[in-house]
Amino acid sequence: MHNAAALLPGTLDMLILKAVSLKPLHGYGVLLRIRQISNAALEIPQGSLYPALYRLEHHGLITAEWGQSENNRRAKFYTLTAAGRRRLRAETAGWNRLASAIAAALNATSEEV
Amino acid sequence: MFQRLRSLFLVLTRRRDFEDGMSEELRFHIEQYTEDLVRSGMSREKAARVIRAELGSPINIKADCREAFGVHFFDEFLRQLRYAVRLLRKTPAFTATALLTLAVCLGANLTIFAVIDSVLLRPLSFPQPDRLMTIFNTYPKAGVDRDGSSLTNYYERRNRIPAFASLSIYSYGTEIVGEPGSTERLQTMRVSPDFFSTLGLGPAIGRTFTDEETTSETDHVAILSDAFWRQRYNADPNVLGKQIRVNSVPRKVIGVLPPSFRFLSSDARVFLPLASRPEDRLPSRRHSGGNVIQMIARLQPDAALAQAQSQLDAQNAALEVDDPQAKMIADAGFRSLVVPLRADHVAAVRPTLLLLEAGVLVLLLIGAVNLVNLLLIRASARAKELAVRQALGAGWRYLVSEVLVETTLLTFAGGLLGLAVGAAGIQLLRSLGADRLPLGTRIVFDARLAIVALVAAIVLGIVFALPIAGFHLRRHLGNALHSESRGGTSGRGAQILRHTFIVSQIALAFILLAGAGLLGLSLQRVLAVSPGFQSDHVLTGQILLPWADYPEAGRLKFVQNLMDNLDHLPGVLSAGIVNNVPFSGNIGKSAATVAGHVRRPGESARGHYSYGVAGDYFRAMGFSLRAGRFLTADDSLRSSRVCVVDEDFARYYWPHSSAIGQALWDGSEGGKDDEAFTVVGVVGGVKQAGLTENEAQGAIYYPYAFRLGDSIFVAVRTSQSPESFAITLQKVVRQIDPDVPVSDLRSMDTRISDSLVARRSPALLAGLFSGIALLLTSIGTYGVLSYAVAQRRREIAVRIALGAQPGQIRVQFLSLSLRLLVAGTLLGLLGAWQAGRAMRSLLFQVPPLNLAVLATAACLTTLVCLATCLLPSQRAAQISPMEALAEQ
Repeated sequence: MHNAAALLPGTLDMLILKAVSLKPLHGYGVLLRIRQISNAALEIPQGSLYPALYRLEHHGLITAEWGQSENNRRAKFYTLTAAGRRRLRAETAGWNRLASAIAAALNATSEEV
Repeated sequence: MFQRLRSLFLVLTRRRDFEDGMSEELRFHIEQYTEDLVRSGMSREKAARVIRAELGSPINIKADCREAFGVHFFDEFLRQLRYAVRLLRKTPAFTATALLTLAVCLGANLTIFAVIDSVLLRPLSFPQPDRLMTIFNTYPKAGVDRDGSSLTNYYERRNRIPAFASLSIYSYGTEIVGEPGSTERLQTMRVSPDFFSTLGLGPAIGRTFTDEETTSETDHVAILSDAFWRQRYNADPNVLGKQIRVNSVPRKVIGVLPPSFRFLSSDARVFLPLASRPEDRLPSRRHSGGNVIQMIARLQPDAALAQAQSQLDAQNAALEVDDPQAKMIADAGFRSLVVPLRADHVAAVRPTLLLLEAGVLVLLLIGAVNLVNLLLIRASARAKELAVRQALGAGWRYLVSEVLVETTLLTFAGGLLGLAVGAAGIQLLRSLGADRLPLGTRIVFDARLAIVALVAAIVLGIVFALPIAGFHLRRHLGNALHSESRGGTSGRGAQILRHTFIVSQIALAFILLAGAGLLGLSLQRVLAVSPGFQSDHVLTGQILLPWADYPEAGRLKFVQNLMDNLDHLPGVLSAGIVNNVPFSGNIGKSAATVAGHVRRPGESARGHYSYGVAGDYFRAMGFSLRAGRFLTADDSLRSSRVCVVDEDFARYYWPHSSAIGQALWDGSEGGKDDEAFTVVGVVGGVKQAGLTENEAQGAIYYPYAFRLGDSIFVAVRTSQSPESFAITLQKVVRQIDPDVPVSDLRSMDTRISDSLVARRSPALLAGLFSGIALLLTSIGTYGVLSYAVAQRRREIAVRIALGAQPGQIRVQFLSLSLRLLVAGTLLGLLGAWQAGRAMRSLLFQVPPLNLAVLATAACLTTLVCLATCLLPSQRAAQISPMEALAEQ
């Protein structure tokens, strides 16, 4: 874990939406899924996870429903809503643009200037 | 936005579930994580430590989650609300005073606003009501300000004034409706075919009238109001084509109006075509309006009032070119005025209502100042507590919201009580005759008003919070901690503020008192005016004789029968008939031509009240005879061409000679010698329009045979109370014709008293307001003075201990209140002068600055204020130095 990168501000929401978009998950599941899909390269601030989930629910991007966990315990499962899907798409596109722009900038060589 | 509000609402309604869910979710997270860590070989204790480090405190997480939903604001609010309730319950005397003040002030405002709203603000229930105009002829130099419009006007103007999209005429009436044996007298309207299209609201069922239906041979059709249709026909959808008898003439129902149809203040149940004969529409009849027929018009969407007015003026000018009477008409100052319909309808009551609104706003201002003062005193009592809390780190936002919650809670609760007071107030206004105001029947207490009142209450709460919050925040903490404690003195600024408030309260109460005094004095002066006859013991009632059943001869026969039957009844001193009794509300005038009178240059024809009388009308009413004789029952029987004029008429036309024996003609055109009426008597002048009428235009009394209107009033002078004779009178009329009811049965005293409603009710209300204002002021003064005494308890104790006499202490506080009183009264004098000037149009024979009124107001304020100051001053004088110095 010591070499995991800290999250850029504002990216936690995006990652949660992505995690939930694959399959309905409970809060702990979201944490595990983000670790899994990022190959444990990202450090998730756990204290911010639940407030972020609640904020996304409040904004109608995800919905919550109580269900059974893998080991038959009651857990709250989050599902992406249509609005959440749209938001995820927009954020992904925005991120990709930003990332490639920054990558291009950082890869610039002296000949290109 | 909506989504968030909905989710917040869902959370708030299921708050317990939300909290439980949050705890369960976090517990689940911790347990799962622990299991995973233990499974990877970590000890349980280590796992707990790791999780604690990574997750942080569950309490903080929960707080963040609540914030994510915006729930925390609500929690904070509830906490402050509970705190405010606790604080208010700790000071029941303050809370009760504040709530009562708010309830009375807001309730009074709500009541008056309800009237203003329905009479002056709420639009008429027609499409684009602001486009509706009324047009009337005026002959100011002839003493006729308002003469309605004539049929000729209508037919000449229809479709010829481009600025008007539509133009129509109507007249109010009452008719006997129903089959013989079950008739009732109903309000009706006669309207031209385009009346409904001008208003933009036509029948819900059926059709409107056509142009073909405007002659007396073809007008046998009727349109019903929704209420009448429901009540008489049980809302029968097949009512069209059915017969309805109006004044004994059968008519066919051709339409039913929608429930929302209500023309101004009219309660008309049946609408009939305004039929006329071709000769009534001739140019020679152009100026024969007589205030019977009224005209309305709808402006074109792009036309302005001024445009319509100039087009109308141009048409009038063009038409007068070949009018033989043009000179006389011009001398009379003739014009046809275009005025917005609604404004015109309520013009008479507008100043009174605005005055009352101003009065009630002043009352609210006094109440508000009072409360701010009491709240400030309360705030200084808590200054130390709040300073300590600020010193301990309470943020200004928190303190402001705490103050805001407290004041708003107070005003909101006061507002709720105010709703009850307002509802009662509207009831009170009804009993004072508010529904007789134009559009007054629309006065209701509805959800709209309630919302306005509660919003106003909340706004008031916010306004109250400002000075209190400012008081707490602007203080230097160190000073606050010291001041008003054992070693300190009271804050100078706060004291000045409190005193300013008291002075302004006294001034405002004084203004209200003076205003109420002026209205009361006006009322008294009006009541002292003689109506010109002996109004006691006279019963009057209106009888409508339908033309169909009562042509000329029949009318005279009916009147004769009625007089004969009445004269023989015990308790009847004398009885008479007139076609328009004084104070009936009908103030139409007509012209007369006096033999030998040549109009001086610039002198116009004059409109006179013209009556047709029968029986012993003059004795029944108690007129005074100035010269000659009264018309007798014989005069109306023999149809002799004689008449009686009043002294104003006689003085105007024959200033230097006797009126008796002079000749005059009915109408402005004169006539043949054998059509002239000979004046046989002169009677005293009589007020027709109201006691405040001051134009003495003159009146002529003709025998009834020459003025056969279909509406007559019977006047009976009784030896007993006139009201008790009402049933007998109805019985007598029913014996002659069971289908002719007597309506509007009132004694002359009642008529006069009813005509004063517009003066009495405002005076009463103003009196009530100023009474409340005085009470509020005394509460305020008492509060401030008591506080001053309590605050300076120790200082006073020291002075008494050093030898000051109790009398000196008492005088000190009394002189303080006297200074405030003098300042307030002087300021009030200035305000009362301005207020008096503003309400000049409502005063009658009272100057805006009346010494007696001002002196009375000053005495009252002084008495009340000094009385309230006695108790705290007395308390100050009785402070025991031992006890006071031992405290703390």
